[in-house]
Amino acid sequence: MKKIEIPPEENLGHGHLACAGCGAAVAMRLTLKALGEKTVMVFPASCWSIVPGFWPYSSYRITAVHAGFVTGAATASGVRAALDVRGDDETLVAVWAGDGGTFDIGLQALSGAAERNEDLLYICNDNEGYMNTGTQRSSATPLLAWTTTTPVMQPKENPKKDIMAIMADHHIPYAATATIAYPEDLIRKLEKAKGIQGTRFIHLFSPCPPGWRMPSEQTIKISRLAVRSRIFPLYEIENGRTYTIQEESHVVPVKEYLKLQGRFSHLTEKDIETTQRNVDDTWERLQRRARC
Amino acid sequence: MGKQITFKRESEMPMISVSLGDMEWNKTGAWRTQRPFYEEKTPPCSAACPAGNDISGFILKTAKGDWEGAWNLIREENPFPGVCGRVCFHPCESKCNRGSFDEPIAIHALERFVADFAPRLSKKTGKAGEKRKEKVAIIGSGPAGMSSAYHLARLRYDVTVFESFPLAGGMLRMGIPSYRLPRDVLDRELSNIEALGVEIRTGISLGEHLKLEDLKDYQAIFLSTGAHRSRGLHIQGEKEKGVLSGLDLLKKMNLSKRIKMGEKIAIIGGGNTAIDVARSVIRLGKKATILYRRSREEMPAFEDEILEALEEGVKIRYLVNPIRVGQKDGPKRLECLRMELSEKDESGRRRPVPIPHSNLFIDADYVVIAAGEEIGASFLPEGAEKREGIVLTRRDGSTGIKGVFAGGDLASNQRTVAHAIGSGKKAAMAIDAFLQGKDAEEVIIQHLIGEGPSLSIFGYLHPGERLRNPHVVTFEELNMDYFEPAKRQGESKSAVKERIKGFNEVSSTLSEGVALEEAERCFGCGTCNECENCYVFCPDGSILKREELFSHQVDYDYCKGCGICFTECPRGAISLKEEAK
Ligand SMILES: Cc1cc2nc3c(=O)[nH]c(=O)nc-3n(C[C@H](O)[C@H](O)[C@H](O)COP(=O)(O)OP(=O)(O)OC[C@H]3O[C@@H](n4cnc5c(N)ncnc54)[C@H](O)[C@@H]3O)c2cc1C
Ligand SMILES: Cc1ncc(C[n+]2csc(CCOP(=O)(O)OP(=O)(O)O)c2C)c(N)n1
Ligand code: SF4
Ligand code: SF4
Ligand code: SF4
Ligand code: SF4
Ligand SMILES: [Mg+2]
Repeated sequence: MKKIEIPPEENLGHGHLACAGCGAAVAMRLTLKALGEKTVMVFPASCWSIVPGFWPYSSYRITAVHAGFVTGAATASGVRAALDVRGDDETLVAVWAGDGGTFDIGLQALSGAAERNEDLLYICNDNEGYMNTGTQRSSATPLLAWTTTTPVMQPKENPKKDIMAIMADHHIPYAATATIAYPEDLIRKLEKAKGIQGTRFIHLFSPCPPGWRMPSEQTIKISRLAVRSRIFPLYEIENGRTYTIQEESHVVPVKEYLKLQGRFSHLTEKDIETTQRNVDDTWERLQRRARC
Repeated sequence: MGKQITFKRESEMPMISVSLGDMEWNKTGAWRTQRPFYEEKTPPCSAACPAGNDISGFILKTAKGDWEGAWNLIREENPFPGVCGRVCFHPCESKCNRGSFDEPIAIHALERFVADFAPRLSKKTGKAGEKRKEKVAIIGSGPAGMSSAYHLARLRYDVTVFESFPLAGGMLRMGIPSYRLPRDVLDRELSNIEALGVEIRTGISLGEHLKLEDLKDYQAIFLSTGAHRSRGLHIQGEKEKGVLSGLDLLKKMNLSKRIKMGEKIAIIGGGNTAIDVARSVIRLGKKATILYRRSREEMPAFEDEILEALEEGVKIRYLVNPIRVGQKDGPKRLECLRMELSEKDESGRRRPVPIPHSNLFIDADYVVIAAGEEIGASFLPEGAEKREGIVLTRRDGSTGIKGVFAGGDLASNQRTVAHAIGSGKKAAMAIDAFLQGKDAEEVIIQHLIGEGPSLSIFGYLHPGERLRNPHVVTFEELNMDYFEPAKRQGESKSAVKERIKGFNEVSSTLSEGVALEEAERCFGCGTCNECENCYVFCPDGSILKREELFSHQVDYDYCKGCGICFTECPRGAISLKEEAK
């Protein structure tokens, strides 16, 4: 068994308010290790407006700018411009937005920034719902999942929006998926993104124990099963064209992933088959894109 | 930093809402309902090792390239790694958790590797420090006697071993042939025990040259005389010239005595002794046929040994039972009956019954009877009880006579080298407890590995050091996400053509590279190897590292008790318990 190597510095302090077993807290800790102190990170409304603590405290050991829900990419574009005026080309400008703040309400600002190819690293922390406000559906919520706005009598009818395809078609220099069960892959992608100019997008998948109705100690397991079941494959897209898939050698049926989570506990065998078909189709589509 | 901030008046507040302090004052540990903690547990291999080897511990050291450390760790429990790595039937491997994943770790092969490689780097074991005044006598220098001598010497007793044979080692020397156990390996490990100040007096037989009453100077006695009387078949002609017991034949061969036996040898029996005789005889250039009254499936001999014997040209005839050895002098004519199997007997094996009028004759120049061994304990005085062919002992190995303990084949029906080593260790602990006025049973129970009966002396010799945890790690407690299938590496064997030319060792010690590969396959069930998964995945940065050194400490000020560290530890070295309310 190979030891997982991660950078030593800790840029997320103790005492933060993330729920026990929060996948995003693992993600944040790893991300800040990779990005380092010389980072300005913009936070549109999400759990991460609350998690670091309330004024006048913060557990971030980087510069954090809290912003309106809609404005993640726009605020970051402004911060970048301000630093440029000061001649600071060393500091990295990043955004940390939820899936709600990215797939839904922040999409317009993001699309604009990407079209202008703003020099920023946009990280979408995807926990598949509006979790900070108590688990409402977003367009990142998976097919048939339970949320408070998609109750089990009428679970979500639509499949998850393909944000990576949308971002790829903005022809940005770099887009990648990542998740916490693969820390070295995540850190490598962040470091790679750091070295690229222009808009870079990381789709970061972070299990949420209360929102997904799962035990807190399963967070990493579920993150890994998402990749192994191919419901969340790991890949990179360069310049909207060149795809590299980090294929997992262990492939499991999506049922293995679904069965650990309460938000899927109402699924019938037929629903599971539907989900599996959806996963297979999406995987095939990804491979087709990767081939051409 | 780390403090709460209060503003006394508005002017103290900053102009914009900028943070002024961190959250360290917020002790999130108060949220916790369950508490993770590091807890070394016992791997199933170790609990299954009758000699009590610290298997995960020594393999971890091997994987790090610390062979000397690995060797020393084995010898905390067992002075015979070179012997065991070769002849132990390795019950540890059938309990190895890796067996539920792909194939068990080749534990015996690693044990042998360590025993062969480490002594090249290391000095001999030193003396055990100033001796105590109490003296202990040990009767018999087999693995049981020598193991107890070793541990008693480590406990600083003045130990004398009395051995009736001219050479020490018991069955390791007189029974097990050298193509399985080269004598230099045995000699090396015996002399390491002697180096601790153990005196071995050979050529002295209890009962013949010595009575128990003559041992008044000794405050305790350990009887480990083994099982050396061959069982007969009680058939006509078995006492004649040209018929010998398997064990007697092996003893003769092992003392390099010449034996006239002609060309065709018939060996009666189906156990390890029969196989050892047959394979030895083949090496003398003769033909060996084993006659066994049941079928292959019921054969008690070790499967690998049977296969190797067949490869080497040993013939086995099943379902035949000799009823008479014909012809007094010269070549023999064995009269046999064919057998068939009926329902199962108390041993769980199908019982052979003769087929009437199926008599047949088998010609042989020499007949060897290997029908098992029993104890001969005519030296036993009144008070030492025997039952079902063994000397009766209590849980701590004590007999009915005060200060007299017994172990090994003499006192057990589990007749293996590793069991003998384990019983010698148990006796050493019980004798120490007896002489120091402690409760021996209590001592034994405290030092069981898992649920026992395997026993560890480590915690007894080093008070305050870790004891073996009764919790034995199951496969389900491990996290397989971190392991990839990998082929088991075993010893290589020399070609059959070479093997049958003489008594050179059949299998060879692993090379360094292969040993490292095999050691890396070990999950290390229950033993932290500092993989740092817990540190990497903690959402609250609550696994402490000091100056980049892993610490095995949880920061309970902030740990929220999510249990991620517990789940992501590949080897079950972290436990989780409900937090006290
Ligand atoms: C042919 C053969 C092959 C075997 N192969 C294996 C194997 O591959 N693996 C395995 O695990 N086990 C094997 N065994 C079993 C194993 O050898 C025994 O279980 C083990 O040696 C028992 O150890 P012990 O110390 O109790 O007795 P022993 O090894 O028998 O030693 C007893 C010693 O006491 C001495 N002694 C006896 N009477 C007296 C007396 N009155 N006074 C002084 N000294 C006395 C004997 O000479 C002997 O040296 C084999 C046994 C045989 C017979
Ligand atoms: C314009 C506006 N609408 C609604 C809110 C309330 N609000 C705060 S966080 C949040 C949910 C954010 O969801 P997501 O972006 O997925 O992040 P998460 O909380 O799941 O991390 C909402 C609806 C707001 N702050 N601003
Ligand atoms: S002595 Fe036997 S059971 Fe113990 S570790 Fe060695 S091979 Fe395994
Ligand atoms: S994997 Fe290693 S520690 Fe676990 S049972 Fe097997 S040999 Fe023992
Ligand atoms: S992962 Fe961290 S917070 Fe969770 S139980 Fe372990 S030490 Fe506590
Ligand atoms: S996860 Fe790794 S470092 Fe942590 S306790 Fe388990 S073995 Fe040790
Ligand atoms: Mg969300």
